[in-house]
Amino acid sequence: MKILVPIKRVPDPATTIRVLPDGSGIATDNVKWVINPFDEIAIEEALRIKEKQAGSEVVLVTIGQSTWQEQLRTGLAMGADRAILVKNDGYLDPLALAKIIAKVAAGENADLVLLGKQAIDDDSNQVGQMLAELLGWPQATFASKVEFADKRVTVIREVDGGLETIAFNLPAVVTTDLRLNEPRYASLPGIMKARKKELKEVAAESLGLDLAPKLKIKSLTAPPKRQAGRKVASVEELVSVLHTEAKVI
Amino acid sequence: MIDFELSEEQQMIRDTVGAFALDEIRPAARPADESGNIPQALISKVAELGLVSGAIPETLGGDGGERSAVTGAIVAEELACGDLAVAIHCLAPRLLAYPVLEMGTDEQRGAVLKRLAGAEFVVATAAVMEPRWDFDLTELNVTARRDGAGWIIAGDKCCVPLAAESETMLVYAKSAAGKGFGGVDAFIVPRGAAGVSVGEREKNMGLKGLATYEVSFKEVRLDADGRLGGDRGINYSRLMSESRVALGAMAVGVMRAAFEYARDYAKERKAFGVPIATKQAIAFMIADMAIEIDAARLLLWEAASRLDKGADALEESYLAKNYAAASALRVTDNAVQALGGHGYIREHPVEMWFRNARGFSMLDGIATV
Repeated sequence: MKILVPIKRVPDPATTIRVLPDGSGIATDNVKWVINPFDEIAIEEALRIKEKQAGSEVVLVTIGQSTWQEQLRTGLAMGADRAILVKNDGYLDPLALAKIIAKVAAGENADLVLLGKQAIDDDSNQVGQMLAELLGWPQATFASKVEFADKRVTVIREVDGGLETIAFNLPAVVTTDLRLNEPRYASLPGIMKARKKELKEVAAESLGLDLAPKLKIKSLTAPPKRQAGRKVASVEELVSVLHTEAKVI
Repeated sequence: MIDFELSEEQQMIRDTVGAFALDEIRPAARPADESGNIPQALISKVAELGLVSGAIPETLGGDGGERSAVTGAIVAEELACGDLAVAIHCLAPRLLAYPVLEMGTDEQRGAVLKRLAGAEFVVATAAVMEPRWDFDLTELNVTARRDGAGWIIAGDKCCVPLAAESETMLVYAKSAAGKGFGGVDAFIVPRGAAGVSVGEREKNMGLKGLATYEVSFKEVRLDADGRLGGDRGINYSRLMSESRVALGAMAVGVMRAAFEYARDYAKERKAFGVPIATKQAIAFMIADMAIEIDAARLLLWEAASRLDKGADALEESYLAKNYAAASALRVTDNAVQALGGHGYIREHPVEMWFRNARGFSMLDGIATV
């Protein structure tokens, strides 16, 4: 089985994010970059599938600048077989990303595209769904368990109010949720071998796609600073404050 | 040309091992200090990083075959920043693997390294130190004398990590009349060889999670191939230089753990209405800690890069390890001080790091030689 895992480079979740004064983006100096944690879960799942199904191949793809190679190398060090960097400098909206990934998936003849349910930077949660639509493949989002029997896939999804089990045939798109697995650490030999694995670069504009953004980020603002809490003397006072001041009841 | 930039691989190794050390090893540090035991599950998980197998060539069943003293120093620092006892435990098999890899005969490499090449943790160690007040690396009391084609080993060793569980132990012994490093050889001693007896587990001030033992050798007879390197013998000075760099790097790891903890505490803890980090008495102390850490690391990297070039690094490694051992004591002492009363109680880890750091000027016995 050939598994395509699209990954995104995002700021380390432990990093404190500062919005630029003009609201055009975030300050990127001193930011540590990592693989989007949900995508890391997707890589881990792909590697586990590969370990169970001999002859499988795990191909990583990312869309961004040359420096995004670092995250591809990390994924290769974890055990992926090869990687593709679709080079692009400007902003791409989720639809443009989905179009590029669809093109790569078709070109690679992938059986499965496995990706994070969303990236932790903009939390869009759209690429997987759009990708499935563009490819005309079945999709299972928010997967917390993925099982195979021949070409049939059973996925347990985390939905509001419980778990949903769905089954469909490959090829398909699956997006990963937090509880699917715990990603492995790259091993030292894995890191040394990653250097020798294939990392192909493709220019985004060479794919012949309309990538003009339909979505525009107008400005970013930091969330308001949380106010300190207040202690009330009694339940009566609490109810009254919730009613008269917070106006929530 | 001097370049302090790490390669892309070295950065990735530092990030990966560093993240592992903080997430997996650090939480186990205090329980190991209290109970004296490191959980087997954690050791297996560390082994999956390929610390030993990664250095063994694929032809011997290993996973790579690339090895660098600088990269080794980076790994040792990161692991020890998680916990020193876990770091030494998990790196102990290298004490056998690396000398055999570098100086063993083909037969010895085949026999010893194949066993250590897998993904599971195989316990092995080396015996260097001896229980005497005037211990000197180059004037060992444990002796090896020829007996026909073979050898007879006799004498006592101490502070041997994991001696009781090790399948194989590398024992350093004085084999020739010559003085200095030239008079010492290393011998591959299997567990259960007649005359080897492992004593009670030692009761140490720090490093309580690590099992260390006295081991005595009573006329232990070995075949000719027991001598590492066969007739060529070993380059003992180089092996000790490598071990000093690794130990020094671990001292840097312990210092960094203490420094980061004290720094964060000082930013948080308020006295007279402001964080204590804004008080010069604390701020200067924290700055001095940062300087010592950087200085120690650079000395070690200098020694390590000489080793990687195949050059002699006896002096450099001695200076670097001595400086790191002394700094570790100052830095962890200051960390205890920065936490005030909280530094002295076991709810914070700085007292444990202080106890662990005390060992560096004693381990491999060089600080006072």
